[in-house]
Parts: sequence; structure tokens; C-alpha cells
Amino acid sequence: MVRATTDDDALRERFERDVLPLLPNLYGAAMRMTRNPTDAEDLVQETYLRAYRGFAGFKEGTNLKAWLYRILTNSFINTYRKKQREPQIVEGPEDINEWYLYDKLGGRSVEVSAENEVLDRIPDTDVKAALESLSENFRIPVLLADVEGFSYKEIAEIMETPIGTVMSRLHRGRKALEKALWETARERGLVDG
Amino acid sequence: MAEHGSNCEETLAEVQRFLDGELDRSLQVSIEQHLSGCAPCMQRTEFRRHLKIMISAKCAGDAVPDALHTKVMDLIRGLDEPAG
Repeated sequence: MVRATTDDDALRERFERDVLPLLPNLYGAAMRMTRNPTDAEDLVQETYLRAYRGFAGFKEGTNLKAWLYRILTNSFINTYRKKQREPQIVEGPEDINEWYLYDKLGGRSVEVSAENEVLDRIPDTDVKAALESLSENFRIPVLLADVEGFSYKEIAEIMETPIGTVMSRLHRGRKALEKALWETARERGLVDG
Repeated sequence: MAEHGSNCEETLAEVQRFLDGELDRSLQVSIEQHLSGCAPCMQRTEFRRHLKIMISAKCAGDAVPDALHTKVMDLIRGLDEPAG
């Protein structure tokens, strides 16, 4: 049917215009989730396939980025988690104090920006590795909040988890990340101790 | 009192949600008022803000493989009819 073809073309055009530009974001998130380029490529392709198939049902004007990240996260959890057989650690670190990294880095310093400068000197690859060292339950909320800039409510929708659970995992995930960053900074010789 | 802003304890308890933009307007303002007059709380807040920005900047920006862009385009163009 001519009409159907026109609709399909319009849908494809809209998809290419709105969804394709998010490829770098989705690939970066897929890299942090799967932790290797081969699986990240597969995950992104699967996400685009599912997104395209479901795109006719996506309501234009609603939150496209959150919709895509929901597909990405679902695909990751359903496919790659099983494949990677990562042991799922549900408990997070409980013994990390609220100002762990601040106290370690700069709490004693008279130089106001000293702790910020240490953060700046940690190489990108080490920060990525620190994030990737977190178990998935903590890594995904931190990724969505701090790297992708989603709100707690959006993260709850993306992860299909109650908002209270998101906030708790985000808090514990950030503490675990602070600890990993401290260890990295120490190993790199960026700090004493 | 709101006009005096939050105290240190309240501010430090809420600083992450403050930076995440998750507080309601009145609490947001109350914490801003406290921070403007309290250097130690401001220093901690700025550290957290810097940490968040650093993580965001350093964990993004992976170069997308050229082949992946092509594969995704092929995937879309190879599919005749997206099911609704």
C-alpha cells in the first residue's frame, strides 16, 4: 500500500533524525555496562533493533532518551548479564563513611582546591575502570545519574525499580566508587598513603 | 527559620540531592542560603559537585566504531516495516 509505505518512510526518517544521534551516548553506556567493545556493539545493535520495532508505539514528545535507556538496560539485564555470569553482589559497602573521599583527599588540607586537583589528575581510563568495578546493581544507577544525567524518577522507570531502591543503590554505589577512586589515586601515586 | 537557611547538619545530609537537582524549591533555596555563609559546607559541596562533573566527563566520550554506525544504519534500512 502506498499509504503504508509513506508512513513507514516517515517513521524511519523520524527514527534516523531523533534516535541515531544518541548512538554515542548509548555506546558509551553499553561499554560501561558490558565492559568490553564486542559485547557493547552487540548490545547497541540489539537496542536499536528493539527500539526500531517498538518506535511506532513510542509517543512523540515524551522522554525519548529515557525510553531508549530502558530498552538498553532491559536488553543488558536479559542477555548480557546471563552471558557474562557475573556474580551478583546485592549487598553494598556499608562501612564507607559519608565523606570518605573528601576526608581522604583533602579534609586536612588548607589548600581549598587540592582535593579537586587530585580528581582531575586521575586518568579517564582509571575512572572508567573504577565505575566498571562496581557490581551491576550499583554501577547502573551511578552511570544513569552521574554520566547520563537522569533524574531519580527517570532511573526508577528505566530500571523498573522503586525510587527508594534507586536512591539507596545510588548512594551506596557512589560510596563504593569513591573508595575505588581513592585506591586508584593511591596506586597511581597521586596521593600519599 | 527559612530566612536563615538550613544548618550545617541539614545541609550536609541533603547536599547530594541538592547537587542532583532533586530537592523542592524551598529546601533548595534554604541550602543555598546556608552555603553562601558557610565556607566549610561550601567546600564540601564544591568537592561533590566537582566529583560528579569529573565522573561524567571521564566516563563518557568513547569513540563509536565506524563499523557500528554502518551496522545500525543497515539494520534500520534493512527492516521494511517496524511493527507497531
